Amino acid sequence: MIKKLPLRFLALLFALSLMTGMTLGQDTINLRFTVWTGNEAHLAMLNGIAAAYQETNPNVTVTFVTIPFADYQTKLAIELSGSNPFDAGWMPESLAVPFLEAGTLLDLSSVTRDNPDYNFADLSEAAMSLYLRDDGVFGIPFSTSPELIYFNRDLFEAAGLETPDVLQENDAWTWDALRAAAKTIKDTTDVYGFQSHGQSIYNIHLWHNLAALTRAFGGDIWNAEGTDCLLDTAESRAAIQFYHDMVFVDGSTVPPGTEADFSAGSAAMTIGFLSQSARLGEVSFEWGIARLPEGPAGYVSVIGQSSIVAFQNSRNPEVAADFVAFITNQQNVETMAQFFPPIRASVLNSGAFANANPAVAPEALETSVVPSILNGSLLPTHVEFPKIDLAGRAAFDALWNPEGDVEAVTTAACEAIEAFMQ
Amino acid sequence: MNKNSLHSGSSARWQMPFISNRRLFALLKYFFLILVSIPFIFPFWWMFTTSLKPISDVFGQLTLLPETWLFSNYIEVFQFQPFALHYFNSVYIAVLVTVLTLIMSALAGYGFARIRFRGNSLFFVMLLTSLMMPIEVTIIPNFYLIQSLGWTDTHLPLIIPSVLGPQGIVATFMMRQFFLSFPDELEDAARIDGLGRFGILWRIALPLARPILGTVAILTFLGSWNSFLEPLIYLSNQNLFTIPLSLRSYTDSYGYPLWNIQLAATVLSVVPMLIVFIVAQRQIVNSFARSGLKG
Amino acid sequence: MISNLQRENLPSGMSLKRRDEIYGYLFIAPQMIGFLLFVLGPLIAVFVFSFQDRNLLLGQITFAGIDNYQAMFKDALFTKTLQNSLIFTAGLVPLNVLGGLFIALLLSGNLRGMIFFRAIFFLPVITSAAAWAIVWRFLLQSESGVNTFLQAVGIDGPNWLQEPNWAMVSVIVTRALKGVGINMIIFLAAIKNIPQDYQEAARVDGATGWQVFRRITMPLLAPAVFLVTVLTIIGALKVFDTIFLMTNGGPSNGTMVLVYYIYYQGFQFFETGYASALSVVLFLVMFILTLIQWQLRRRFVFDEQE
Repeated sequence: MIKKLPLRFLALLFALSLMTGMTLGQDTINLRFTVWTGNEAHLAMLNGIAAAYQETNPNVTVTFVTIPFADYQTKLAIELSGSNPFDAGWMPESLAVPFLEAGTLLDLSSVTRDNPDYNFADLSEAAMSLYLRDDGVFGIPFSTSPELIYFNRDLFEAAGLETPDVLQENDAWTWDALRAAAKTIKDTTDVYGFQSHGQSIYNIHLWHNLAALTRAFGGDIWNAEGTDCLLDTAESRAAIQFYHDMVFVDGSTVPPGTEADFSAGSAAMTIGFLSQSARLGEVSFEWGIARLPEGPAGYVSVIGQSSIVAFQNSRNPEVAADFVAFITNQQNVETMAQFFPPIRASVLNSGAFANANPAVAPEALETSVVPSILNGSLLPTHVEFPKIDLAGRAAFDALWNPEGDVEAVTTAACEAIEAFMQ
Repeated sequence: MNKNSLHSGSSARWQMPFISNRRLFALLKYFFLILVSIPFIFPFWWMFTTSLKPISDVFGQLTLLPETWLFSNYIEVFQFQPFALHYFNSVYIAVLVTVLTLIMSALAGYGFARIRFRGNSLFFVMLLTSLMMPIEVTIIPNFYLIQSLGWTDTHLPLIIPSVLGPQGIVATFMMRQFFLSFPDELEDAARIDGLGRFGILWRIALPLARPILGTVAILTFLGSWNSFLEPLIYLSNQNLFTIPLSLRSYTDSYGYPLWNIQLAATVLSVVPMLIVFIVAQRQIVNSFARSGLKG
Repeated sequence: MISNLQRENLPSGMSLKRRDEIYGYLFIAPQMIGFLLFVLGPLIAVFVFSFQDRNLLLGQITFAGIDNYQAMFKDALFTKTLQNSLIFTAGLVPLNVLGGLFIALLLSGNLRGMIFFRAIFFLPVITSAAAWAIVWRFLLQSESGVNTFLQAVGIDGPNWLQEPNWAMVSVIVTRALKGVGINMIIFLAAIKNIPQDYQEAARVDGATGWQVFRRITMPLLAPAVFLVTVLTIIGALKVFDTIFLMTNGGPSNGTMVLVYYIYYQGFQFFETGYASALSVVLFLVMFILTLIQWQLRRRFVFDEQE
């Protein structure tokens, strides 16, 4: 008996594992749509939109495939070059240019710009800039999330400080004010005053941090054309020195090698996107939002942008493009606005957006979020982003210790980055 | 501990002049062992206690016990992603790889060791050349191969190449070495009884090869259970994930780790293996000891 | 053996020897087919690919001559990752081999509680490498974890994972703790197989403990030491998960090893041609080390077969 059982068991398992790789039947079209969210509420909303699409297109089903953000770039390339490529999906701004230049994105102009029902003019032109190429439309941003300051009201109260939203109202919300508040909080409560972008700021989210800082000081990471590194300018260096001092002189900012988390109450302020408010639903403290502080160069809003694209290798390109047009139409953008700040002016200016995000007070949305979206500058992107990312981060690692020399490090970083910028 | 209480337990075997020396030596041994075991045992203690803390207590100073015992992290492990399914994936893949490797390597090892056929040593030397070659060397062409077979996003690339590739070759090598030291007389006797090759392998050779089968099984199982690079490359669909990929996916949508939940999942991934090991510890060590595994 | 074979009943038309040969081929067939498909084929392919300009994302494949190899010489990161791989190996091998031997010798006596300690040292082996790395990443923070303990005894611990050299030490030690248990078991097995009377006889002849160890135990353990060394070197050169999960190759690429760089070039930059050329280097490193091992083995290990 023992001799036969394993074989039968094996055969069964083998058949099972083969089946998992198979696609559904031939008659119906199954679109594979890739996203990086695993959030149940996000997925429920997306599935709702897909169900609505199926009502008018009964032969089309949509499967949303979650790929963790850290692996997105790799998995996307692997799937697109494989035998069962994705049909459509989300695309972060950092990968938009490399994937567009590689010819992996489908031109959507016929179903969007050239389709009068779509109301293409409603889309903010500035927000579309990455995706308008050679007279084609290669993606529709669905989320333009401004970087915001999240702050812990309880800690500000404990330190006897005015909160950032109040400071913002009084036109006193500057990087200097943020630095002073962070220091006071650390000194009085022994909780870190500031954590730039969660735990990954010293590695994978370095550019997020640098963008917000350098731009407020009048510098930038690289120029708009992506040909020159600007980290070694005096403005950028001043910004980076400012942050370095917060970490190593003031000791008020979470240093490298220390794990902390705003939502755990272990940092009083952090920079985050609007959609991150979803994570703060159950925290044990009162929190609020303010826009990014002003620097010497005034107020600069930095936005992260995620788009929906269809892929060139899709087996059903027309259906894929049609679904992308559907999911980004007026009605569905309104639905998605509960999580993702839209680029459709009609939705952004309507009450629908203000009331859609239950976690954030409507007035905060109005004063901090909407203006940030309208005037925002995009996070950096570049056709060689993967390589620049690795080389630049490696150079910056030398900065994250008390002796880190901003001048030397920015010079080295620019040298490393510019190797990929001819 | 005072000296008297130590002596009170001394047995008669320990004769006079050696007592103090031997005891001192033993004490020294214990001292060393306890010291050395700290970094081995502490992560488990820490992993377990932290998995019971609310996220607000995870950071900052290390405490030996959680202030509040929070089991909800363990519920969230399963709500966050299909962890039970990932568990099943890892277990069935590792079991399947182990069983297939045992079958394949027993056949090949026996063939190389006991059967004379033209090309035997040539084939074996061919295999030997890649004994030292890890799969990482050929990961790029293997990836193209897997892709052209349409195996990406299935479990097949975690199973078939593991069985037949370098890991399988190591298993075959170990089996061959064991079967080489097999007495001829046993086989001859079996032949006189009218057994064919399969009969000899099944009835005579394999029962005697239990120790090496056990060793190969343990090493193969651990190899598959630990496998990280292949699933990382070949699996996109979250429902197909194995435990190592699953553990690293306890992050929010921006890639920040959700520490307390991640550690609860880590504990869950470790505990069953610990139980199996503690139960089967003697057999595991003995199978290594009797496998003649010595190079 | 031949004389025995002749006694068996022969099937019509086929000699026994012939039938046995067929069984031989049959038995090794799965392994050999797998070898051709998943080892030899890809190995040839990796050499071919290394002379091509391949890009996963663009899907392009063109002949590139020795471009990839030329690029490698100019690639400072390649040199660094190769160095890191060798440093990692040089750090891990003594820790894992000598550490395993040391623990095994400590545990080999008949003291009470040895089974308990043996289990403790084996625990990390059965813990998945991902779990082990995740836990240690958290323990090696600058202001918490391990450093809390060091502070208690008055040592100001470094920022383990943020300083290149300490990060390398950290991943080596983490990996060593993970793997030393399996070596310990192999050594314990080898020690158990040493006939007790050898040592007893030597003691009777008046040999000291050290002499017994040096002259009897050690030579008999030599094959096991070699096996463990070989396995550890292979394991060290292919390390990926620990580094991927603990440091991402940083800081300043200080822990970026060759295998990680291959992954990076192939699956982050999609330069699969260049990644293949890097793989060829990894293969050559393995090959050279293997040759050295065989040479050393011939010199130092006398007892091949009992």
